[in-house]
Amino acid sequence: MDTSLPAAVRSIPDLWRGHQVMHDVAALPTGQPALDRRLPGHGWPMGALTELLPQVPGSGEFSLLFPALARLTAQARWVVLVDPPWVPYPPALHGNGVDLAHLLLVRTSSAAESLWACEQALHGLQGGAVLAWPDQPSFTRLRRLQLAARSTHAAVFLFRPPEAAAIASPAELRLRLVASGDGSHVTVLKCRGARPAGQIPIRRTPPAPTMLHRADAATPPTHRPPRTDDTAPGRRAAGPVH
Amino acid sequence: MATELWLALQFPHLALDLLCRGQRPRGRAPMAVSATVARRPSIVDCNPVAARAGVRPGLPVAAAQALVADLQVHPCEPAAEAAALQRLAAFAYRYSSRVTVLAAHCTLLLEIGASRRLFGPAEALTQRLVLELQRLGYHARAGTAASPEAAQLAARHGRHLDPGRPIGPQVCELPLTSLRLDSAQGPTLENMGFRTVGEVMRLPRKALARRLGTEFVDYLDRLTGARPDPQTSWRPPERFESALDLPTGLHNVQALLFPLRRLFSELCGVLRALDRAVQEVSIHLRLAHDETSIRMGLQQPSRCEEHLQRLVREHLERLRVRAPVRRITLCAPTLLPYAARQGALWRGGEDRPVSIDSLLDRLRARLGRDGVSALAGIEDHRPERSWAAREPGTHAACTPRPYRPAWLLEHAQRCRIEDFRFICGPERIETGWWDGQDCRRDYFVVRDRAGSLLWVFREYKPRRGWYLHGLFA
Repeated sequence: MDTSLPAAVRSIPDLWRGHQVMHDVAALPTGQPALDRRLPGHGWPMGALTELLPQVPGSGEFSLLFPALARLTAQARWVVLVDPPWVPYPPALHGNGVDLAHLLLVRTSSAAESLWACEQALHGLQGGAVLAWPDQPSFTRLRRLQLAARSTHAAVFLFRPPEAAAIASPAELRLRLVASGDGSHVTVLKCRGARPAGQIPIRRTPPAPTMLHRADAATPPTHRPPRTDDTAPGRRAAGPVH
Repeated sequence: MATELWLALQFPHLALDLLCRGQRPRGRAPMAVSATVARRPSIVDCNPVAARAGVRPGLPVAAAQALVADLQVHPCEPAAEAAALQRLAAFAYRYSSRVTVLAAHCTLLLEIGASRRLFGPAEALTQRLVLELQRLGYHARAGTAASPEAAQLAARHGRHLDPGRPIGPQVCELPLTSLRLDSAQGPTLENMGFRTVGEVMRLPRKALARRLGTEFVDYLDRLTGARPDPQTSWRPPERFESALDLPTGLHNVQALLFPLRRLFSELCGVLRALDRAVQEVSIHLRLAHDETSIRMGLQQPSRCEEHLQRLVREHLERLRVRAPVRRITLCAPTLLPYAARQGALWRGGEDRPVSIDSLLDRLRARLGRDGVSALAGIEDHRPERSWAAREPGTHAACTPRPYRPAWLLEHAQRCRIEDFRFICGPERIETGWWDGQDCRRDYFVVRDRAGSLLWVFREYKPRRGWYLHGLFA
């Protein structure tokens, strides 16, 4: 009989070891097999706090959730967006399978109200999802959200700036997203029940087929304007970004 | 057929209860109710704090105020008491379909013989009802008997008379004063040397009628059940209104929660009794000089006390009152039929669809009506016109466009194209000639220097230029 330490450790069934991934966690498939493999439960944890830290807004952080949101809304569970920075574009959401009938938009006027609304939404949802863009939430507020999520089996997704990675958070899962090429790379900064992992490539929805066949020809129209009768070179790049 | 059994609920301190029920039992100030008796304002009732200081019913108001310097004397309001009795009748309607209001005696009569199978023996039901009333701030004494008059007699002594046995022998030991006698009959009988009810009952009816009038004999016959005693049944109202006076005034908004809880318990008790629900509730607060009111709308008719209280708490948090609150009125203008929700038979109903209505109520109580909405797609090629906020729960469909950006800027922003790398495009959108918002644009997918995937368009009409319109997040 092998009496070495690793063998002795293996013989204890309850002992969780670092390279193992916990699988008995309630989770929602992310739709990205490469990411699923890295996450306990093979998906977004339910009843838990997940933080997404995109390097810049527009790194694919919202569309990464589409498969999960589509699945939730298809089960007639509610998805609540608390203070989204822009308008979620209904045709795009619908096109990605998200049922708009189970989507709720909440607008508040202050950071405190925003977190309050998140908490209320969690208590009222029972198994849906809350997406929020909190402004510098304190650890205790995050912890409250986490406890609320745990008690109601709802998922919370917080979108935070990349600098937040340096600040401690009670979140079960923290992902950094960096846009690259056609898709983006996900780095698992923190993950309860599994080891952090880096550089997981994420596929993104390809651009519209109607636009795709022109992709090669999509040279900046500064050189080849689409309609010659409308050209007005002096006005092309007018105005600063607001 | 089950034998009739009447429960009499008497509210001997109704006027005082109406004054005091806005405050917690502890820390009450001495308080008394006055009425004009023989053209002189006298004390009718007082609370224990005042009674301990020597105030008692019958005392002239001036004398009582000399005894207790900080005594608050309020004139009794018969109209308010009558209204309170109507509300209490609605509350008691839950336990019996035959409720009678005897406003002159501050009494409610309930026929509970038919309710025994549902609510258990008379003693248990009585105890339950009295306790519930106490929680609302009303002090009641109760008694049961086979006839309405005997029930009122029993209530005066808190007794339960056995409906299976004749009433006469059961009440014969009671003192004469427990009978309902007018100011002349009492002394007359006493002067004749009678002390107990039994002694009067044994007298020949004819002689008694000659001396005390036939009405008194009729009364005795109704008491024993020898004569039928039909009662007018109370009819449920179509609206609810209850007011609560705060004689000392409340400055703190949070302190309003206690009186409001009493009002809401009362409302919900009435709603349960009538099998009704409310969708709209308003609360009027009377301040020293002006008034303020809160209007609460609900997503769905409800009679859940907890839910209503949670909503009112959110409303109160936003409320600022500059002067002490003197009076709270809770009003439900219409009572709607109640539709009970189906519950899950087994625990762990995680998979069943969740109703969002209570959440909507709570969020809207604090954020306002526009704070919560759902999204709808609209069939329009112009992206800025292809969405709208709509009422949650209403149906909406739109053309799916999976390749469009997930985020749309509410107003397109002017941008510089030197910073962008073109990924694909253009996609021409040219529409709107019929509504005056005519536009001609070419949309491109671009990547900016930081790596964000953006949706920009070049506009030819109405304004020329480059605009940022969305993010592929």
